[in-house]
Amino acid sequence: MGLLAAAIAVGLAALGAGIGNGLIVSRTVEGIARQPELRSALQTTMFIGVALVEAVPIIGVVIAFIVLGQ
Amino acid sequence: MEVYQHVIARQRKWMFYLLALLVLGWAVTPWQPIFLGLLLGSILSFYNLWLMQRKIRKLGEATAENRSVRGIGTFTRLASGALAVVIALQYEEYFHLISVVLGLMTAYIVIFIDYLFNKSRV
Repeated sequence: MGLLAAAIAVGLAALGAGIGNGLIVSRTVEGIARQPELRSALQTTMFIGVALVEAVPIIGVVIAFIVLGQ
Repeated sequence: MEVYQHVIARQRKWMFYLLALLVLGWAVTPWQPIFLGLLLGSILSFYNLWLMQRKIRKLGEATAENRSVRGIGTFTRLASGALAVVIALQYEEYFHLISVVLGLMTAYIVIFIDYLFNKSRV
C-alpha cells in the first residue's frame, strides 16, 4: 500500500510540475521570439515562475520517498 | 543580459552565506544532526538552484538563436530531492530527516525573498 501511495504521489507531482513548466516555457519562448531584446527580463520572470511551480512537487517527491522508506 | 546575471549572482551569494552559517552551526552548537541535515538539504538545493539558472540561461540563448533545447531539468531536480531523502534515511544517525526537507527548500526561500526585496529592479 505504501508503494502505491508513493507511486501516486510521485506521479501527480511530476504531472503538476510538467504542466506548470510547460505553460511557463511556452509563454517565455513566445515572448523571446517576439522581442529578443527583452530576453533578460523574461528569463528572470521565467526563473521565478519555475521556482514557484517546482517547490511543491519536490516536497511531494520527498514525502513519497519518506513513506517508501518507513 | 544584465538583469538576469545580477539576479543569479545575488542568489548565489546569499546561498553561500547561508551555507557558511550552517557549517558554523554544525561546528559550534550541540545540535549536530539538525545542522548536518540542513547542510545536506541546502547543498542539494544549491545544486538545484545552479541547474535551474543554467538551464534557463541555455533556453534563452537557444530561443534567441532559433535553436531547440532538450529540457529544463525538472526531473533532475525532483531526483535530487529524492536523493537527499534516501541519504538521510540511509544514515539516520547522522542526519535529522525534517531538517533535510527544510534544507531542500532553502534555495526557493532565497529566490522568493530576493524577488520581494528587488521587485522594482526585476
